[in-house]
Parts: sequence; structure tokens; C-alpha cells
Amino acid sequence: MVEHIVPATLAEALEAIADGKKEVIAGGTDLMVQRRKGAGRLPDFPDGLVYLFDLDELKYVRKTADALHIGAMTPLEELLKHPHVPNLLKTIIAEMASPALRRVATIAGNIANASPAGDSLIYLYLIDANVKLISASGERSLPIHEIITGPKTTCLTKQEIIVEITIPIHRFTHERFKKIGPRRSDAISKASFAAAAFIEEDIIRDFRVAFGAVSATVVRCKDIEETLKGTRVDALKEASRSIIERYASHIRPIDDQRSNKVYRKTVSTNLLADFIATL
Amino acid sequence: MPDISKAVPKLDEEEKMSGRAVYVDDIDIPGMYFARTVRSTVAKGRIVKIDVPKLPKDYHIIDHTDIPAKNVVKMIFDDWPVFAEEKVTHIGDPIMLVVGKDRAVIDDICENIAIEYAEEEPVFDFRDSAVDYRFEKGDAKKAFERTARHIEYTYRTGYQEQAYIEPQGFVAYREQGRITLIGSIQCPYYVKNAVLDTLGCGEDDVRVKQAVVGGAFGGKEEYPSVMACQLAVAVKKLNVPIKLVFGREEDMEVTTKRHPSTITLRAAIAEDNTVAALDAHIKLDGGAYLGLSNVVLSRSMLAVTAAYTIENLNVAGDVYLTNTVPNGAFRGFGAPQMIYAIEMFMHHIAKDLGEDVLEFRLKHLAKQGDMTATSGHFHEPIIMPALIERAMEMSDYRRKASTYAKDESNHGIGMSWFFHGCGFTGSGEADHIKAEVKLEKDIEDKVHIHVAAVDMGQGSKTTLAKVVAETLGIPLADVVIDNPDTDFVPDSGPTVASRTAMVVGGLLARAGQRLKSEWVSGETVVVIEKYKQPDHIRWDDEKFHGDAYPAYSWGVNVVEVEVDPHTYEVRVENVTSAYDGGKALDERIVLGQADGGIAQGVAYGYLEVMEHDKGKLKQRNLTDYMIPTAVDTAPTRTYLFDNPYALGPFGAKGFGELTLVGGAPALALAVEMAIGRKVTKIPVTPEVIMELMKHGKH
Ligand SMILES: Cc1cc2nc3c(=O)[nH]c(=O)nc-3n(C[C@H](O)[C@H](O)[C@H](O)COP(=O)(O)OP(=O)(O)OC[C@H]3O[C@@H](n4cnc5c(N)ncnc54)[C@H](O)[C@@H]3O)c2cc1C
Repeated sequence: MVEHIVPATLAEALEAIADGKKEVIAGGTDLMVQRRKGAGRLPDFPDGLVYLFDLDELKYVRKTADALHIGAMTPLEELLKHPHVPNLLKTIIAEMASPALRRVATIAGNIANASPAGDSLIYLYLIDANVKLISASGERSLPIHEIITGPKTTCLTKQEIIVEITIPIHRFTHERFKKIGPRRSDAISKASFAAAAFIEEDIIRDFRVAFGAVSATVVRCKDIEETLKGTRVDALKEASRSIIERYASHIRPIDDQRSNKVYRKTVSTNLLADFIATL
Repeated sequence: MPDISKAVPKLDEEEKMSGRAVYVDDIDIPGMYFARTVRSTVAKGRIVKIDVPKLPKDYHIIDHTDIPAKNVVKMIFDDWPVFAEEKVTHIGDPIMLVVGKDRAVIDDICENIAIEYAEEEPVFDFRDSAVDYRFEKGDAKKAFERTARHIEYTYRTGYQEQAYIEPQGFVAYREQGRITLIGSIQCPYYVKNAVLDTLGCGEDDVRVKQAVVGGAFGGKEEYPSVMACQLAVAVKKLNVPIKLVFGREEDMEVTTKRHPSTITLRAAIAEDNTVAALDAHIKLDGGAYLGLSNVVLSRSMLAVTAAYTIENLNVAGDVYLTNTVPNGAFRGFGAPQMIYAIEMFMHHIAKDLGEDVLEFRLKHLAKQGDMTATSGHFHEPIIMPALIERAMEMSDYRRKASTYAKDESNHGIGMSWFFHGCGFTGSGEADHIKAEVKLEKDIEDKVHIHVAAVDMGQGSKTTLAKVVAETLGIPLADVVIDNPDTDFVPDSGPTVASRTAMVVGGLLARAGQRLKSEWVSGETVVVIEKYKQPDHIRWDDEKFHGDAYPAYSWGVNVVEVEVDPHTYEVRVENVTSAYDGGKALDERIVLGQADGGIAQGVAYGYLEVMEHDKGKLKQRNLTDYMIPTAVDTAPTRTYLFDNPYALGPFGAKGFGELTLVGGAPALALAVEMAIGRKVTKIPVTPEVIMELMKHGKH
């Protein structure tokens, strides 16, 4: 008999996965789809599941002086309504899946699933989010780009649970998100683009760009960004072409059933050009 | 008399809304077995060896050796085997069924069956023509010789998947020596006749019942016969009840799709800049088996000039066999490809000639009395000018078209004009279908409708019952209509070709008239009515000559879009339609068809992408194959004109397919206007638009 566990507390959950066998499930909107079977059969979880959905202690949004703390089990739809959640993140969530799915789906699931097309990831990269992991033997906190190690792979061990996502609070004068999905709801991104800038007296103080679904993981090039800080807006605009060229080598999309690499690359650079042009 | 168009609650509304409706997968028979199909994993080859693991007790293999009579699924062409023998022709070709009680064990057995193939070079291009039709009107050759200017374009369309909510399925069992099949089907008698042929048994040995059907769109016209034959063979051999239901992915991978097409059109331009002659070559991808592809081709060819009259025609059509999933029936049935092509072509000619597009099209618009493409006549009044005027007014077409054509706003508006021939092509109704309906009044004076028409969501139970109730002048509640069961209903024909309201409804109205005159309260009265071809309709099937359809429905679609200049995404902003479907038998039901049909037609134009890679479909589930969601569906306005057809019940003609066939061209024309480049291929995806922006023709 396969044993599934529905823990009431985080401590119980950690104990249930301590032997590294059972899998955790949050909203199940990735996991249930990935483990589907043919007609009339239920998904298979041979080693059992640990359901996280009763862990109320992981459902919260808290604001501190310099960061926003999101409990891992907070459904996306709650975040969409929460007054403290930054608008850029709300814009992104509003384009994820559809209302019914968002009632159960979580950012933690989006992170652990580590799809290059995961929509919340582009934001977490852009903003330098941190992810807190807890296991029976301790906790650690890592920046998002260290959590995600490749397409569909993370550094999480089977004894660890994502408990919190920490979003540092930044000031931006310009923000942009564009999801290129094959349709306007319930669609996996063909490509996505997020950008933010802080401009003060015509000087670029902060400039960040992230591209989704065009490489093994979200593309963000801090080295390029650093060189642009301190320039004047019109100088940046003039340099638009060369900036795009510098990004181009990092945008390495693939051909698949949803789109092709030429399109993915073209629109990614178009969106960057447009962002720069409209600063 | 109250207006029949006034909407009533659908008769099956309560059953469906409450969740009580019984679909195939809801059926559970004590001791029921399950079946799964083992399929070819290669596109073309010979089966060299099949290794089946040792089967546990009560698990069975059913293959071609178990077929009592013919290894053929009866359709129009007898080329579709029930099970592959040595040869496989596409990925997904069925080879055998694994039958047993536990689906997990069945899956396990399937995974452990090893099939060795001698692979052969598959064919994916248009090389092997299996159907080749031709017809002429006037003298196209002469017209081409006499004119100096000729314009030619080639148009391409892709696959379209029906994407009904409920995947295909059957339950079959033995009942006192006979085999009963309950299925998610459109055509109970197609299924019955196919099973009779495969089993080689007598009329009375097979019974087919329709379960509640969760959508079909043509996809449950011929394919269910394949499953039914396989399952009947299994039940005959094993003598147990068996369920065969597809999951979404299996359904998408193996069931029939809309034929991809390549259509080349060449026009001879007269001195006055009108089209003197048209030369058309329509090429359809039939997939691995023909099934009924020749009839699909006919409908494409018959729609060659769509809403226009062109005096001289030379029309050729081919269906090519390729080593891919067989293509088949889909709402519109060959017309969407052709109407897309001719509508684009008329625009492209006008543009190349420097003519005002609207004026140019109006000059060619068909009128009552004109000769059809097959030299028959449009006998009924054509009220297209009124439809066009209304659609243009409602959508502000004139102003928008002249603004968008010039400005850089990335907006576009497109308008398509079209018809749809109602009922079976040519003499099909009289020669092949020979529809028969039965009305039975019981001693309580309730009237039972016995027809083989399937309500797959389109509302035919309600509209047919309304026809009978109104004809007899009795309350709707006194009319009873159940899902067809071949033990009780005569063969009123398949539920296809926009024929149910007009043809079956027309027969029921006639039966109703007779019942009315023979009515004796408190006694049983039975009336049977059979199809008769209207006298003025003449058709020569060999020569494609005469009246291809008894009546035509007409329509206008206007679609407005915005194209994102950075991502090339198309946003459909609004949709306006005007239709002449004769007379609506229920306004809400007809508007439901209008909303759904146009959404499906527009999506065919830009959203629904399906492609194969060496015979393997790339989009095999609803995550990868995009149908529009509510958010993608633009505000839609529809205006229904009354133009009663004398031979239709209360004036009704066909409506179900009409609402789909003009969507793609209207969309493509809107995109063309928005981007200022000619569109010759659908779906016109952002990837295609990007290429057009880089390399396209103005
Ligand atoms: C129709 C549909 C549309 C979709 N649309 C989008 C979209 O637009 N954009 C998008 O990005 N995604 C989309 N998705 C994918 C999915 O909804 C998201 O990735 C979602 O964020 C997953 O969250 P979940 O809670 O459901 O994860 P689950 O399915 O529960 O889990 C996913 C993975 O994460 C692990 N996991 C979950 N929680 C934790 C935790 N706290 N600690 C450690 N591991 C954990 C699980 O073990 C599993 O491996 C869509 C899915 C569907 C079915």
C-alpha cells in the first residue's frame, strides 16, 4: 500500500520527507499533469505524496523594511489580490494559467518545477529574489539563480521544502512585462520579457532585463547591466543597438512544438529595443 | 401561430447541467473489461515480428486474425483496415487490442509488446494522388487564350483538430447473441453498417445506441466506425462487455483532422478588369487512408467560386495519400479551405489590378438565377447585398477599412462572403442516404420522434421537437425524442452536412402534416416519411454537372484585429456576422452555433497550429494545440436574416457549418490589412507574420 500523508504542520511535513522518498505536492498543477496516465487511470506516485496544502503556517505575505516575504503555500490568486504584492509581479501572475488553476497553484511549485517557461521565475530573477529551504536538519537561503540549476532541475534535496520567497524591495521608475503565449489564457510562454529601470535626473541608476523561455534558464546578464548604470538616458538609447547585440549571444532559444528559435530571438530583442526606446 | 424562432429551453439542458447525462465513460457494466489499442510507431513499413509477453489469465489480444468477415471499415472507400495486417501506413495505425479487466495491467502488457518493423521510406508530400476529380464550366481555355493578363496565387492551409470536449469511446456487449454498441457518435447507421460488414452478420445481429455526445464537429462522423469494428470483433470473440475509450492524447494523435490543403488559383482578367475565367487546382492531404476524403474534395471543388459567379472555370482536385494520420470530416468539410483561398484571391487580384476591392468583389457577387460553378442554378433568392450592407454597417467597415488600410495603427479589418451548400452533395440524399423518419403517436397522444439524428450539443433534439410540435399544434412537452437506437429509429441519415434541420426536419414536418390528418385521439398512429429529391434539382455525379445542392445558406463575417508590432501577436478585437440560414428554428440555438462556429473558424485562421514531424504530430494535447479560450474570443455580434426556403421546415436551411467557413479568410484579410503584406498561408501565426514582415509581398 502506498502511503500518502497530509501533515498539519511544517514539522510533520519535514519528518514525512526526512527519508528522502516521498514527494511533496503543492497545488499539483504541474505534478498531476506530468504524472498523467492513459484514459481511466490515476497518476502514479509509487512512494507516496506529502500534501502541503493544509500548512497554513506557509500561507502569508509579510512586509518588512526592505523585503516582502511570501509563504510558499500562498496560492497565486491570493497574491494577485494582496495589497503588498508589487504590481509587476501581479501583472505576471495575472497572465499565468487561469483563475481556477491560480486558486491552487503556487510560486514554490513554479520554482521547484524549474521550467524555462515558468512565468514567475522571470520576475524572481529580475528582482534578485531569495528562496528559503527547510529540512529536518536545518535551513538555508539561496538566490533564485542558485536554486535553479538547469531546465527542470534545482538544487533542492528530497528532504527539503521551499518555505518562503523573499523579494527585496526596489524602487523603479519604469517596469515592463510581456508574456508571449500562443493564446491569452492557459498558455505556456513561447518567450517572455521583464525589465525594470530606475532613472533619476536622466541618469540610469538601475537597469535590469530578464528573458524567459529562450535559454536553459531565465537569462539575466548582470555584467551588461552594470556597464549601463550611470549612463544618460539618451546615451543609452543611442547605444540600443549595441546593447541588443551584447544580449543576443545569451538568447539561445530552441525550436519546439510551440514556436521556433528565430521568432523567439527576434521578439526578445524587439521587446528589449522597445523597452529602451520608451524609457 | 407563435414564431418558431422564439427560443425555448433546450430539451437536454437539465440533464446536462445537472451532471446526470450519461456519456460513454460513465457507463459501467458489471464484469466489464477494458481495451487499449497497440499502434504502429513507424510511419511506413512491414511488420516483421510481434512479440507478445505471456499474458496473465483473462487478458487477451485481438487482431486481424479474429475478424470474422472483412478486414475493412466500411466508409466510402474500402481502404481503411480494422487492424493492420503486415503493412503499417502511419504512426498510430492500429495493430491489435489488448483486453482485460485492469487498465494498469493492460498498459503494462502494451508496453511490453515488441513489434519489429521493416521500415520503408514514408511519403509526406503530394505525390500519390488517389482521387482525381475535374470539371469545367463554360470555356476556360478559350478565355485564357483571349486575355493578356493572368494572375496566379497559391494558398496553403494547415490541419485543424475538432477538439470536442469528450474524446471518442464505445462500450460494447452481447445481448442474447447480438452485439450492442453504445458510442459517442454522429452517425448510428454508419457504425452499424460498418460493424455488419466486418462481422459478416445479419441486419438484426447488431444494435447501435448513441450515448450523450460531448461535442463532435465532424470528428465523430467516420472515425467511430473504426473503433466500433475493433470492439465488435473483440466482443464477438470474448463474449464479455468491453469499454474502449480514448484519452485526450490518443484521441488527438489518431483520429481524423481537417485536411491540410494547397490551392493554386489562376485568373484570366478581361479588358474591363473582371475575372473572365478561373483555373483552380485543389490539393488535399488525405493522410494514410481515404475514408471519405473524396467527398471532402467534392465540397472543396463545389465551393470554388464561393459567393461569386465566374463564367468560365477549369477545376481540378486531388486527394493525395501520405503516411500520416488519416484526415476526414470536420465542420465545413472541405469548404473552409476553398473559401479561404478564393476570398484571399479575389482580394489579391483586385489589389494587383489596382481596383477598389469592395467594388471589384460586388461586381462578381452571385445573384439568383446565376449559373453555379457546376452549371446548375441558384434557384432561390440571394439576399447577399442586404447581408453585406448590414454587416458593414454594424462593424463600421467602410470607415475602418479606409482608415486602417492607410495608417500605421497595426489595426486591420477583413470581410468574407460565403455560402454553404445544405445537405449532401449532389444526388447523395436521393441516391445514397434515402432518409426515412418515423413519427409515432401513442395512446396518450404523445408523439415520439424516431430519427437517427444525434444531438451532439448543437440542439437538434430541441429544434426537431419544435418542428413537430408546431406542425401538429401540440405542446412541446407532448413530443418525445430520445437518443437514437438503431432498434427503434429508421435511418434518417448521418448527422452531418448541415442537413439535420433542413432535410430531417423537413421530413418530420411532412410526417407531422400527415399525422395531423390521420390523428385519432387515444389510438396509436404511425407515420413514415421518405426523402424525395425536389423535381427541379438535377445532378450528374460523373460529370460534376447540375445542382450540387438543393439550397444554399449565405453569410458575411467581419473580423477586426490588432497586430502587435513587436511580437506579431494577433488580437481579435471584434467579430460581426450576418447570415441567411433561411429561418431560425430556435434563435438561441442558432446564435449558439454562430458564436461557436465563428470562434472555431477565426481560430483556424491564426491560432490552431498542428504540424507533423516525419509523420508524428507535434501538438498532441490541449496544452500544445491551441483552441481559443473565453479570453481569446472577441465580442461577437450576429444578425440573422429571414429568407425562408420553401422546402425547409418553416423555411429553415443549413446553419451549423455556415458559421465556420468564413472565419479564417475574414481574419487573414484583417491581418493582411494590419501588416500591409499579402497573406497566403493559414494559420497566420506570429511566426508567419514575422516572416511576412521581413520578406512578404505588399
Ligand atoms: C492549464 C495550465 C496552465 C498553466 N499555465 C501556466 C502559466 O501560464 N505560467 C506558468 O509559469 N505555469 C503555468 N502552468 C504550470 C503550473 O501551474 C505552475 O508551474 C505552478 O506554479 C505550479 O505550482 P503548483 O503549486 O501547482 O506545483 P505542484 O504541481 O504541486 O508542484 C510542482 C513541483 O514543485 C514541487 N514543489 C511544490 N511545492 C514545493 C515546495 N514548497 N517545496 C519543494 N518542492 C515543492 C513538487 O514536488 C513538484 O515537483 C500551467 C499549468 C496548467 C495545468
